[in-house]
Amino acid sequence: MSTLLMLLGMVALVLINVPIAIAIGLVALAGTIAAHGTDDMLNLALTMYEGARSFPLLAIPLFVLAGGIMNAGGISQRLINFCMALLGSIRGGLAMVSIGAAMFFAEISGSAVADVAALGSILIPGMKRKGYPAEFAAATNSSAASLAIIIPPSIPMILYGTIANVSVVQLFVSGVVPGLIGGFGLMGAAYWYARRYNFPIEQAFSLGQLWRAFREAAWAFLLPVIILGGIFGGFVTATEGAGLAVLAALFVGGVIYREYDLRFLYKLTVDGAVQTAVVMLLIATSAVLGLHLTEAKVPQMVAQGLIDLTSNRYAVLAVLNILFFVLGFFLHSAAAIILVVPIVMPLVHLVGIDPVHFGIIVTLNLAIGQQTPPVASVLITSCSIAKTDIWATSRWNLPYVAVLIAVLLLVTYVPMTAMALVDLFYR
Amino acid sequence: MTFFARLRQSVENVLAAFCVFLMTAMFVLVVVAVAYRELGASLTWYDEVATVLLAWLTYYGAALAALKRAHLGSPEVLRAMPMMLRLPLFVLSEVLVVGFFVLLAWTGLQAMLLLAGDTLISLPVVSVQFTQSVIPIGATLFILGELLSIPQEWRSLQHVPVAGEEMIERLS
Repeated sequence: MSTLLMLLGMVALVLINVPIAIAIGLVALAGTIAAHGTDDMLNLALTMYEGARSFPLLAIPLFVLAGGIMNAGGISQRLINFCMALLGSIRGGLAMVSIGAAMFFAEISGSAVADVAALGSILIPGMKRKGYPAEFAAATNSSAASLAIIIPPSIPMILYGTIANVSVVQLFVSGVVPGLIGGFGLMGAAYWYARRYNFPIEQAFSLGQLWRAFREAAWAFLLPVIILGGIFGGFVTATEGAGLAVLAALFVGGVIYREYDLRFLYKLTVDGAVQTAVVMLLIATSAVLGLHLTEAKVPQMVAQGLIDLTSNRYAVLAVLNILFFVLGFFLHSAAAIILVVPIVMPLVHLVGIDPVHFGIIVTLNLAIGQQTPPVASVLITSCSIAKTDIWATSRWNLPYVAVLIAVLLLVTYVPMTAMALVDLFYR
Repeated sequence: MTFFARLRQSVENVLAAFCVFLMTAMFVLVVVAVAYRELGASLTWYDEVATVLLAWLTYYGAALAALKRAHLGSPEVLRAMPMMLRLPLFVLSEVLVVGFFVLLAWTGLQAMLLLAGDTLISLPVVSVQFTQSVIPIGATLFILGELLSIPQEWRSLQHVPVAGEEMIERLS
């Protein structure tokens, strides 16, 4: 009962514009005082300090920083040029380029918002100039950007791995195949649009041009080899891989391409710090809530309640998928992971779902949630670049969202899709 | 520029500079630690210091985010309410946020008193009081950031933005 009151209290606080992190802290504090009186209040500061001290989470600011530096160093423009040479000869070429470039950028960035800001700010105006409907341009770049959290590295996977105590490296590996399937599926949807609306072909295919674009972008292609090769090969942890990503991006942008504007770099670092702090404050206040919910045995009660209804693994997965899908409409991805994962993990373990498999399912749900308004950070960023209405863009986005849902269902019910590589290399 | 605007800008500049320092320190520490390990001389204090830097970035960055009103929230419902409800609920939300951080600053100070004499495990020259100081200082700076950004937040709540307007502002 007290948990239900806390949930209602939290919703009420968020509705009157109290930031989610602080709403969580307030209800956790109220719950703690109700259970133990004011004696335990000293724990607030200690728990919030320790909640923010997690070594794996160091990867978040570093990957955010790496993404910003890569964008500032001209790497995104070179990836786009290469994709143009490779895919520009297909009907609806610029839409293909958007998705192809997002797939490459996803290998060096772990944030979908960073991805759409980096690529969308170049590609969406380009698509509009070529006569593509602005809503289509926004929808294509928005859905393509969501690949950034499915294809490793991925900030939501780092969050999930830390909270669920699961190997981040195995989570990264589990995202490779679903990310590729999602990318090619999105290209299929874009091609269907291109045929239906007779979108243009950008340029004739030329092997010479492709080679020139590849040579220009070769250093950019080396980045995922260094970052993911280091992490998957076991030479560095995910956190250290993120540090190397920053170093490699500084080297390629500063020494090879020589395109840095120090003032812009400073601004990007400040933005990265703010983004990190927003997520980390959520984690810190959730640590207080987590302590209270664990003492009240809420995760165990939720698990037992659902097990009483069904213990079928696939039925439980269906229920969890629906839960995350609905939450995706109303919660930011970091908040969804931080709030829900600790509560459902006992259930996941109880019915024998592999936590790595569940991690990729959660990530795919969040990728879909980033496309479903009213709370849809990536779609809103894309719409703001394209200057389009969110709901009109959402109509164009439906086939893309359908592709992402199909990938989610495939990964949920054919676990091998995501887990084959994990089983092959790590088990 | 008014005194209030100058003060706001100064606080933002100082917080931003400190956050850039923390981000840079974290990056340098991680890269140097990998290099040392590869050379066969692992830094024993690396993990502990790196996580302290992350905790510091959390609270100093959160204060900067409060000043920029960048924390995740849902202003849409409040914006849709009639003005006679909007103002008292806005005041209530601000009181709750500031109240939470007043409590955090106070408990942070009490915790620091309790931890007197403790040091980091891997780096005994650094006191835990110093590392934990981020809670009372960060909470106080959060309150300052929240108060300094109230006029801007109230102005933004007085009109209904077109789709993505806030995001355009942020991206620009």
